[in-house]
Amino acid sequence: MSKIPSPSVTAETKNFWALANDGQLTVPQCRACGKFHWYPRANCPFCSSNQIELKPAKGTGTIYSYSVSRRGKDSSYTIAYVTLDEGVTMMTNIVGGDPSKLAIGQKVRVTMVESEDGQRVPMFEPT
Amino acid sequence: MYEFGTTPEQLAWVKVAASHHAQHNPNAMLKNVVTVEEVLASPMVSSPLHRLDCCVVSDGGGALIVTRPEIARSLKRPLVSVLGAGEAIKGQNAGEIDLMHSGAAIAGPIAFAEAGVTPADIKYASIYDSFTITVIMQLEDLGFCKKGEGGKFVADGNLISGVGKLPFNTDGGGLCSNHPSNRGGMTKVIEAVRQLRGEAHPALQVKNCDLALAQGTGGRLGSRHGSGTLIMERQ
Repeated sequence: MSKIPSPSVTAETKNFWALANDGQLTVPQCRACGKFHWYPRANCPFCSSNQIELKPAKGTGTIYSYSVSRRGKDSSYTIAYVTLDEGVTMMTNIVGGDPSKLAIGQKVRVTMVESEDGQRVPMFEPT
Repeated sequence: MYEFGTTPEQLAWVKVAASHHAQHNPNAMLKNVVTVEEVLASPMVSSPLHRLDCCVVSDGGGALIVTRPEIARSLKRPLVSVLGAGEAIKGQNAGEIDLMHSGAAIAGPIAFAEAGVTPADIKYASIYDSFTITVIMQLEDLGFCKKGEGGKFVADGNLISGVGKLPFNTDGGGLCSNHPSNRGGMTKVIEAVRQLRGEAHPALQVKNCDLALAQGTGGRLGSRHGSGTLIMERQ
């Protein structure tokens, strides 16, 4: 599979992406209201606090939904929503394994996949 | 499909109904009537959606004239008035994803409440149809059937004009006629107005069509999108 385009790293997300380059998936948690949220941002989407902490995620979750897209002979990819054990559901890709064997509810584990400019991006593979 | 057991065959019925309508539209991109089997035999694009579960891609546009009742009456055309309208946006809810509902679940009840009518009163519906599943989800969310029963609702030609209980997209819709990017809602309103004026194709004109609904969805159904519901009446 060719590399995916690199994500836009912004002031709000640079810490998240730096940790991803270290191989650590993190989930933002609000210190004020205690809730996890997704995606990373400067203010809590529930209570608007800017006291946000990037908590290391276990890196495991389950497939909430997925679709295998086939746009050409060699360009198959699997887009998915994965619900992390921390509770949030994130849009991502499933890599590795046979796409025809995937199932909703399946356990997956994070893997960092290099994008075009070298930034590593969290994707998931079947456990 | 995972939650409710909606089947690929049921999804295909949405396309079959659209194709029955498109055969009467000389401007439709896809005019051939297709069968459930042909939909299921078309190549898989993004599972579980086959090529024939997907809308066409086209250019296009449209225009509507909205004016005061006294001016409308002076134009000597059948009068169509707006009874109710609703709008909603739906996003990823900060990671609390819900793929079971579209924004129509919010916009629809607002429009029905303002109009003072129920889904059972609607004679014709224009439903945005980027994909076959889009139609089923919105029909459920608008209350034409219970959540999870949209597949059964659309099966066996229930959306075909003259055959089923809820004629939809009699221009062939996005699935067969056209899908101008970001203007899909416009074509939906135009065909609903044609039906209310009695100006739809004679083979597809709904008898005594005095109440119609147009439902639009824009953006990305699975992540963030807007939804608009319009209920119109022939005076």
